[in-house]
Amino acid sequence: MAQLAINNITKTFGDTSVLKGISLDIQDGEFVSLVGPSGCGKSTLLRIIAGLEEPSGGHIMIAGTDVTSTRASDRNLSMVFQSYALYPHLTVAENIAVPLRMRTMNATQRLPLIGRVMPGASDKAKEIAQAVQHAANVLEIDLLLDRKPGQLSGGQRQRVALGRALVREPAAFLLDEPLSNLDAKLRVQTRSEIAELHRRLNATFIYVTHDQVEAMTMSDRIAVMMGGEILQCAPPEVVYDDPDDIRVAEFIGSPKINILPVERTERDLFLFGQRLPLTAKLDAPALLQIGLRPEALRLTKTAPLMTGQVAHCENLGSEIFAQIALDEHTGRVVIKATPEERHKLSLGAKVGLGFAATDALVFGPKGKRLRDIEATACSVSEVA
Amino acid sequence: MVTLDTSSRPVRRAASPTKRQARTAWGLTAPALTLMLLILLVPVAVAGLLSFTNYSLGNSGFDWVGIQNYERLFTRSTYAKMFIATFTYVVTVVPISVGLGLGAALVVNSMGRIGDIYKTIYFLPVMATLLAMAIAWEFMLHPSIGAVNRTLEMGCGTWLETLPFFAKGCADGFPLWLGDRDYAIWVICFIGIWQGFGFNMVLYLAGLTSVHRELYHAAEMDGAKTGWERFRLVTWPALGPTTVFVVTISCIRAFQVFDTIEAFWPQGGGPNKSAYVMMFAIFEKGIQQNLIGIGSAITMLFLVFVMFLTLIQRWLVERKVHYG
Repeated sequence: MAQLAINNITKTFGDTSVLKGISLDIQDGEFVSLVGPSGCGKSTLLRIIAGLEEPSGGHIMIAGTDVTSTRASDRNLSMVFQSYALYPHLTVAENIAVPLRMRTMNATQRLPLIGRVMPGASDKAKEIAQAVQHAANVLEIDLLLDRKPGQLSGGQRQRVALGRALVREPAAFLLDEPLSNLDAKLRVQTRSEIAELHRRLNATFIYVTHDQVEAMTMSDRIAVMMGGEILQCAPPEVVYDDPDDIRVAEFIGSPKINILPVERTERDLFLFGQRLPLTAKLDAPALLQIGLRPEALRLTKTAPLMTGQVAHCENLGSEIFAQIALDEHTGRVVIKATPEERHKLSLGAKVGLGFAATDALVFGPKGKRLRDIEATACSVSEVA
Repeated sequence: MVTLDTSSRPVRRAASPTKRQARTAWGLTAPALTLMLLILLVPVAVAGLLSFTNYSLGNSGFDWVGIQNYERLFTRSTYAKMFIATFTYVVTVVPISVGLGLGAALVVNSMGRIGDIYKTIYFLPVMATLLAMAIAWEFMLHPSIGAVNRTLEMGCGTWLETLPFFAKGCADGFPLWLGDRDYAIWVICFIGIWQGFGFNMVLYLAGLTSVHRELYHAAEMDGAKTGWERFRLVTWPALGPTTVFVVTISCIRAFQVFDTIEAFWPQGGGPNKSAYVMMFAIFEKGIQQNLIGIGSAITMLFLVFVMFLTLIQRWLVERKVHYG
C-alpha cells in the first residue's frame, strides 16, 4: 500500500492533446474516482498510471519513487479491466494464481510438467494455492475455482478479475470501469461490495467510471475530469454541494442541475426581472448563471420567483421529479417533490416555484463558480 | 364422453404437425443427401470394392482377389519406399511449415505497414501454380547450369571451404539435387515448405486478430515481462484452435503432394523411387498402368490416413482447445 503522486501529466496523440497537465495526489488507503464523460481522458490517465501507456510529459511517483520510466510489470500495481481480460484457457484458480506464479516462481518452475519437480516448486505451489483459496473466500467464488471463464456469468467473471487483482498485495488497485458490463441490479450490489472490500483491505484504489452514481457512492474523493483536465477533486459531498465549475455541477447529480440566467444591476441579482435575495460584488460580470438542484426548488404559492406549467412528471414512489415549462424562459426546470405534493403536479397545472438563496450556486459567464455572492438574510426566511 | 373427446383431439392434432415437419425436413435435406451419396460415398464404396479385385479399365470383367492388393502394399519394397517417402515428407513439411507460418505471422503482425508487403511476398508461392513453379525450380536446381549450384560454386576458395559440405562440393562437384537419391526427397520437402508456409501464415494472422488486446495488458500487469512469457500466457493458448486447424490442413496437404514429383520425374517417383509418394503411386498404378485394383487399395489407405487425422482434429477441437 502506498501513496501515489501524479505530477503534471500530459498526453498527446498526434495533434490531439488528451491530457493537459494533470496533477493529483492520492493518499495511502484512499479511494479516488476518476469520473467524466467518455473521451475525457480518464482511462488514458489510468493506463498511464499503470504503465501501459507512456505519458508525453510529467511524472508518476509511487511511494516517493519516480516510476515514470518503469515498465508496468515492475510497478507493483493491480488492475481490473473493463473487459475483465481473464485468460480463457485457464480455470478460475489458475487465473487468480497467474500474478503470483509470474512474480514468485522462476522460468523453470513455471514450465509445464517438469516445472513441478523443480526444487522449491512444490512449496511455492502450495503457498500460491493457499493465497488463491483465501482470495476466493473473500470474494465468495471458492465454489467456482475449477471452472473456465467461459462458463461464468458476467458478475462471476468480474469477481474473478477482482480476485486476480487482490491475490497479491500491490501498491494500489486500478479499476477501469469494472461495473459497466453488469446489469443494473448487480451493479448496485457489486458497488457496495467493492466499497466494503476497500474498507477491509485499507488499500489505495483508483477507480475510473463514467457513472457519477458509482463515483458518489464509493469514493473518498472524486476527481471530475473533462477535456483532459481535472476540474475539481474533492470528497463527494463537496463536489455535489459546492462545485467549482458549472460543468462539474452539470455532470454530478441526477437529474441534472437546473441552470438559469441571472442579470446583475448594481449589487442586486435579477432572475427574469425578479430581484433575488442575493447580493453580488460590484465588479462581478453583468450576466451570470445560477445552478439550482432539483431538491433546492420547491412549490410555493406566496411570492414565487418563477411560474410555469407541469410538462412531465416522473413518479419514483418515494419521490417525484417534475419538469416545469417556465413562463418566463424557454427551457424547463426539474424539481423534486414529495409524494404528498403529487396532487399539485397534474399535467398542465400552473405552479409557482421558489428556492432558498443559500441553495443557489452562482457561476460566472464562463462557468467558473462565484463564491463572493452573499445571501440577504431576511429574504431567505421570507422565501422559506 | 364429451370431455374425453375434447381432450383427445388436440393431442392428435399436436402429433400430426410434428410428423408433417419431419416429412418436410427430410424432403428439404433429400437433394443434399442424394448429392453427398452420389459424389462422395458411392465413389468411396466403389473404390473400396475395387481394391479387392484385379479390375483394369476396359476389361469386361474382373476377379475377386481378396486382400492380395493390400498384402502387396505391405510386402513389396516399392511400397515400403512409398511409405518412407510419404512419411518423411509429412513429418518434415508439417512441423516446419507450421512453425515458419506461426513465426512469420507473429513478425508480420507486429510490423504494421511494412508487414503487408511481407504478407504479399510470403503468400505469392501459395497463389502460384505449383507445376509452373516446379519447372522454375528444376532450372534452378540443374546440376551444372542451375542458379543454386552456380551460387554455391562462388563460395569455393573462400572461408566457406572449411565447411565439409563446401569442401566436398568444390572438390567433387556439388550435389545433383533432383538426380541424387539422398537429396531428392529433401528438395521436394523444401519446395513443399516454401510453397505452403505462406498459407499457414495467413491462417495464423487470422487467428491473431481474434486475440484480445487487453489480455496482453493484463499479462503485463500480472508480471509477464518477456515476449516469450506473454506468448506462452496469451498468444499460444489463444491460437490453439487455429493450430489444430493449421496442422490438420498441412497434414492433409502434405499427404496429397503430387505436382512437384510429377513435374520433376514423370517416369517414376525420383531416383531409386526415393520420392515415390502415395499420390504419385495412385496416379502411376491406377492411371498410367491401369491397375485399378492396386490403385484403389492405395487410395483406401490414403483415405484411412486422412480420416484418422480428421478424427484427431475433431477430438482435439472438442476436448482440449475449445474455450467457449
